Amino acid sequence: MLFFSTTIDGLQMGLCYAVLALGVYISYSILDFPDLSVDGTFPLGGVCCTIFMLKLGMPALPAVLLSFFAGLAAGALTGVLHVKFNISKLLSGIIVMTGLLSVTLALTKLITRNGQTTAIFSYRSESIDGLFGGAMFKSLGIEVKDYLIIALLLAFVIIVKIVIDLFLKTKIGYMLRATGDNEKLVISLGKNSGNYKILGLALANGFVAVSGALYANLYMQYDNTSGSGKVVLALASVIIGMSVFSKIRIVADTTAVIFGAIIYSLCLNYLVLVDSDGIYLKLLNAVMFALILIFNEKITGMASGKSRHKRAVSEK
Amino acid sequence: MIELRSIDKIFNIGTANESQLFSDFSFSVKRGEFVSVVGSNGSGKTTMLNIISGTLPVSGGEILLDGCDITNQPEHVRSRRIGRVFQDPSVGTVPSMTIIENLSLAENKGKPYLLDFAVNRRKRAMFCDTVEQLGLGLEDKMDIPVGLLSGGQRQALSLLMSTMTPIDLLLLDEHTAALDPRTAETIMQLTNQIVREKQLTVIMVTHNLRYAVEYGSRLIMMDKGKVVIDKSGEDKAHTTVDDILSIFNSISIECGN
Repeated sequence: MLFFSTTIDGLQMGLCYAVLALGVYISYSILDFPDLSVDGTFPLGGVCCTIFMLKLGMPALPAVLLSFFAGLAAGALTGVLHVKFNISKLLSGIIVMTGLLSVTLALTKLITRNGQTTAIFSYRSESIDGLFGGAMFKSLGIEVKDYLIIALLLAFVIIVKIVIDLFLKTKIGYMLRATGDNEKLVISLGKNSGNYKILGLALANGFVAVSGALYANLYMQYDNTSGSGKVVLALASVIIGMSVFSKIRIVADTTAVIFGAIIYSLCLNYLVLVDSDGIYLKLLNAVMFALILIFNEKITGMASGKSRHKRAVSEK
Repeated sequence: MIELRSIDKIFNIGTANESQLFSDFSFSVKRGEFVSVVGSNGSGKTTMLNIISGTLPVSGGEILLDGCDITNQPEHVRSRRIGRVFQDPSVGTVPSMTIIENLSLAENKGKPYLLDFAVNRRKRAMFCDTVEQLGLGLEDKMDIPVGLLSGGQRQALSLLMSTMTPIDLLLLDEHTAALDPRTAETIMQLTNQIVREKQLTVIMVTHNLRYAVEYGSRLIMMDKGKVVIDKSGEDKAHTTVDDILSIFNSISIECGN
C-alpha cells in the first residue's frame, strides 16, 4: 500500500517536473547552454502564480499560464548577460539565479501574513482553489482522486510537448536548433545568432516557471526553497530520458524527456522508502544519477543528453 | 563591386606579439570577376576574406561594397549580400539537421524567420529537384542528418546553400582543401557551373595552383600582405602552372622556406 501511494506521488511529481525538463531540454539539448538560472526561475514561477491567485484573485489556470512570462523575463536576462556582455554561460546563469533568490524572497513577503520570508504557507481554503483543488471537481460532481490529478497533469504535459514540437518545426524553431549546433551558419544566413540564444533561454525558463507554478498548485503551498537542486533534477531527467529512449526511433526527443522526468521522480520517491529520515537522500540521489549514467554509458556509449541527430553525428 | 581602400591590419595591438599584416593594402574586384587567390601560408589570403566578410575588424582603411561603406557593419548584416564556403565542410551546414531542413533554412535567407512551418510538400519536391541536379545521389537521403554525409557531399551542400538566394559576392576559402582529389575536382566543377549560371562575383582562395590557373577570370598571388602578381584576361589565359610555381618558389626561397 505504501509502495502504491509512493508510485502515485512519484507519477504526479514526475509529470510536474516533466514541464521543467522540457524547458531545460530547450536550453541544454537544443541551444547547448547549461542554464543554471533554472534554480531561480522555478520558485519565481511558483511565487508569481501564488500572488496572481491570492492577491489578484485569478483562477488557477490563467495564473499558471501567466507565470510563464515571469520565467520568460528572467531567462531573457540570462541570455542578455551572456550575449550582450560576453559573460560565460555558467556565470550568467549563476548571476541570475543568485539575484532571483532575493526577488522571490521579496515577492514572498507580499503574501505571507507575518512577513516570515521563508515561511511555507498554504492557500488551501474554501475560497481559493488550486488547479487540482476540490472546487473544480465538486462543480463537476466528482470527488478529488489521485488518478484525476494525474490525468489533468498528463493532459497539460502533452499540450506543452505538442506546442514545443510544433515550435521546433517552424522557421524560428529551425534557427534555434541551428544556433545550438552551428552558430556560424546562422550568421551567414544574415541573422544575429545572439538574439536566438536570448529567445531560446527566455522560452526555456518560461516553461521552468510554469513547472514551478504547477508544483505550487499540486502541493497547495509555495516553498521558497523549492528551487534548490532543480538544475540537477532537470538535467538528470533530460539525460536519462534521452539516453534510455534514444534507441527507439519512434519516440520523439520531447517524449523521451517526459519519460525521463517520470522515471527520475519515481526513483526519488522510492529512495524515500529506503531512507525515511532523509539524511542520506541527496547522497543516494547523486549515486543513483551516477549509476544511471555509468550503466547507460556501458550500453549506448554515450551519456550526454544531446538530441538523437547530434548523437548520431558525433558517433560517426 | 568590392573595394578595399588602404586597409591596415595589425594583430595583437599593444602586446609583444604585435604584428602588422596589411599596411595601406588596396584591392578591388569588378562585378562578374572570378578571382583566384594563391600565396604561401601567412600571406594574408584568408585574413583578406575575413576582413571582407566582417569576421575580423580592420585597424584602418575602409571596405566598400557597390560604393557603400560597410567597414563598420557587423558580420551578420554583411552576410545578407555575401555568401561564403569554408575549408571545413561542417561549417557550412548544420550537422544535426537533415538535408531538407538545412536547405529550407538557406532558402529563407533574406526573409524573416517567423512562426510558419519551414518545410511543406511543395518545397520538399523543389529541394529534391535541386539536390538531384548535383548528381551525388543525395535525393534519397533528404531526411538524413547532414553530419552523417561525407565531406564532399557536405561541401556540395554548403555550396548550394550559400548560393541559393541572390548574393552579390561569393567567398570561397580553400573550399576543396579538405577533400580527396577526385571529390575536389567534382566540387570545383560544380563551383564553376554555379558561378556561371548565377553570374556571381567570386573571390576564391586556393592552394591548388592548377585550379587557380584553370578556373576564373583573374589570378592574384599574395605575399606578406601584398599583391605580387595580378593577371587577368589574355595575360591570365597564357599563364601556366609552371609560371606561377616558379614565382611561388622564388618567393618561398626569399622567405627562407
